[in-house]
Parts: sequence; C-alpha cells; structure tokens
Amino acid sequence: MSAVIRLEGVTMSFGLSGANSGEHQVLNNLDLEIRQGERIGLVGRNGAGKSTLLRVIGGIFPPATGKVWRHPDKTVALLSLGLGFKGDLSGRDNALLAAMLQGMSRREARKRLEAIGEFTELGDFYDQPVKTYSSGMRSRLGFATGLLLDTDILLLDEILAVGDHLFRQKARLALKELLSPDKTVILVHHIEQAIKETCHRALWLESGKIRQDGAVPDVLAVYAAET
Amino acid sequence: MTAGQYFSLIDTMARLSLKAEAQRYYLGYLWWVLEPLLWVGVFYVVFFQLLGTRTPDFLMFLAVGKLMFIWFSKTVNYAGNSLTTNAGLIGRMDLPKSLFPLTVVLECSYRQVAVFLLLFVLIVTDGFSPSMLWFWLFPLLIVQLLLIVFCSCVAAVLVAFQRDFGLLINLGMVFLMFVSGVFWDIRDIANMAAADALLTWNPIAFLLHSYRQVLLWGEVPDGWHLLNLGLFSLVAMLVTLRLMQRYGAHVARRVVSA
Repeated sequence: MSAVIRLEGVTMSFGLSGANSGEHQVLNNLDLEIRQGERIGLVGRNGAGKSTLLRVIGGIFPPATGKVWRHPDKTVALLSLGLGFKGDLSGRDNALLAAMLQGMSRREARKRLEAIGEFTELGDFYDQPVKTYSSGMRSRLGFATGLLLDTDILLLDEILAVGDHLFRQKARLALKELLSPDKTVILVHHIEQAIKETCHRALWLESGKIRQDGAVPDVLAVYAAET
Repeated sequence: MTAGQYFSLIDTMARLSLKAEAQRYYLGYLWWVLEPLLWVGVFYVVFFQLLGTRTPDFLMFLAVGKLMFIWFSKTVNYAGNSLTTNAGLIGRMDLPKSLFPLTVVLECSYRQVAVFLLLFVLIVTDGFSPSMLWFWLFPLLIVQLLLIVFCSCVAAVLVAFQRDFGLLINLGMVFLMFVSGVFWDIRDIANMAAADALLTWNPIAFLLHSYRQVLLWGEVPDGWHLLNLGLFSLVAMLVTLRLMQRYGAHVARRVVSA
C-alpha cells in the first residue's frame, strides 16, 4: 500500500499564553511514514505528545520545523473526547454538521443521520442537546460520526476509552469489520487490549520522539516493562 | 472546500445556532425584535423623557440609529469570541478559520432581517412614506455588511491571539456607540469641522447618518464617500480573509493551546 502520511524532522512547540508565557517543546525532530490501510496504536505517557502528533498528522497545526505531507485526496478526521461538539445542538444536528464539515452536501449528510443515530444507540437522546450527554454518550456520537462518514484516515484520541463495556466492544469490532481495509486508523488508547485487538503496528512516543516502532506485541512488551 | 460547500456550511451552522438559541428561551424567536425594542425604549425614556432632548422625531431618529448600530456591535462582539468558543472543533479539523466569524455574521444578519422589517413598520406607521430615495438602502446595507465582515474577522483573530482583546472590543463598542450619533444628532455639533471629521473618519457615524437621511429626512446621502467606504471595506475584507486562509493553522495552534 502506498504512503498516505509522511512526517520529516517534525518539531512542534507551544507558546504558552497569558501570564505564563514561554515555549513548551512537544514534538522533537520526528520522522514517520504511514501507509494506506495501516492500523496503528499510539502509546506513551501523559504529555508524551500523542494528541499533538495526531493534530499535526490531521493538518490542524503546522509543525514549527520539518515537513508534513498528507495524500491530497484523503479525508481525515480526528475524534477526541468532549471536543468538537456544540453543546446546545442535538446529537442529530451535530452529526449533520460533522458530515458537512467532512465535505458532504446538506442532502448527502441528511441521508447518513439515521444510520449514525442507530449506531450510537442513543435513542431519544439523539434529539437532545449534547450538553445533556454523559462522556460515554459523547464518545459514541463521535465514534459513530467518524466511522459512518467514509473518512479515509481516522485519528482516534482515547475515544474508545469511555462508555459502557458493550459499546466499547461494538466499536472495536466495528473498527475491525465494518471499516474497509483501505481506511487508515491511528488509535491512541491506554488499554493495551484495545490496541492488540485493533492494530498491527504500534508506536511508542516518549518526550516528543518515537522510542519504538514495530509490531504490536514487540512494542507493547517493552513499553509495559519500562513504564 | 468549494465556495458552494462553504456557504452551505455557514448557512447551516448559522441556522442551527439560531434554532438552539431560540430553544433556550421561553420567548424564543420573539427576542430577535424584543431585545432591540427594549434598547430603543430605555434610550427613549432616558434621553427624551428625563433629559428632554429636542431632536425632532426623536423616537424614529433613535430607532434608526440604535437598530442599525446593534447589527454592527452585536455581530463584532459575538464574532470576537467565535474562534475561541469553537476551539474544540478547530483542534479537530483543518477548517477555514473564516468559517467561524462568518457564521456569526450570517446568524446576526438573519436576525437583523427581522429587526429591519420592524424598523420599516415603525417608520411607516409613524407617517414616513417610502420614496425612491429608499433605494439607497441597498448600497448602504451592502457597505455596512462588508464592514461588519472585515471587523468581525479582525476581532476573532485578535481574541484568538490574546483574550484581553475581547474586553477591549466590548468596551470599544460602547465607545463607538457614544461617538457615532446613535442617540444624538451629528448636525447639532457646533464646530462644523469636527462634525465633518466625525462623518469622514467614523464609518459607523457616517452610515447611521446616511440611513437617517434616506429614511427620515428625505436627503440624498454622500454617494462618493459611500463608494470610498465600500471600496475600502471590500479590499480590507478580502485581505483579511486571505490572511486568515494563509495563516489558518497558526490561528488553530494559538486557539487550541490557549
């Protein structure tokens, strides 16, 4: 499979705002190539730069130095917890917006709404404002919109980490079986089982650098031993 | 994203936001006209009943000034926060950053349509009859819209880079209300040069004055100045939109890390 994402010498730092101004280095001279259809598990301690790496891959942030190349025809969606929803709008309206933000027309987007609602198993809550949702309900909505919108590259930031056990299983199963093999997935998850089940390649990020990159069992074994 | 998708998206976002807002309040959509009317009412009581202003047709004078001023001030105030309140979405998707202030502009403009109709009803019931001069409203509204888009985008970016600007913009709108002749007549300024300078350099004062010329006084507004203001606003708006597109990712980084 051909490459869909390539990072070369990517460095990223944040300027802190307000009274605590200064710079915080998050990614440090990072090289990475991701091929189409890969399912990658991203592990690392809190603050290792996992979420930032996903955002750089998603094209949301420019790197301070280095190059990020993404296949121009591929759509990408970053799904993370509690972010990106408009709390005043219902789950249905949020799904409509998400679909249109992915580039669908209003009509196309409307057609997907039922299927998304069904997958979320939210029932009547689908038409209630998202601010009334629990974190598990939000993650269901986020996951269902990401999964059912035919996104080429899915970046999942801890989104499968909350919610009830049954839905997490359903979501993991959906990643394996519903998602066609040409879709690329990068999964940040603190539960190793989820990565073992879903991914075949693992990346261990530490202090903004890739500490290890390889088959899931190898990387996780070293990661578990050292952390 | 094509232009069609872009406009369909801001239209959807604006409508959904209006719907959500209306659902929050018992009086719902009625607030669109109720709030501006209350403003006009309070100003009327203070300046006419209590202070005894002698501006002729003061109620209509005030209604035109305040209702058209609200369109500008509310939009820019809201738009100022549009990038920061959407930080979640901006941190998740690589979207054109102009989407957010422009959604606010459209949202406030939809609301303004209702306010504008209300203004017409007020003016006509008060005995002013429509004339050919009213066609001047089209260029006036277009120029005001261009100015609103420009100022809204600038406000949004400023607040994204430093939240303190949000406070300054709020204060700025109050100052602007005082210096734009919302509740007093620029023609009452004894110093002609000062009045001229105000109309030349304060676009809001000029626009409010022109609306009154057209709707209340049967006068032709200064077309040459309007053309210049329109051209300036158009160029400023296009440059700002271009810059937002070019530096969108920097804006995102700032919004998300703030």
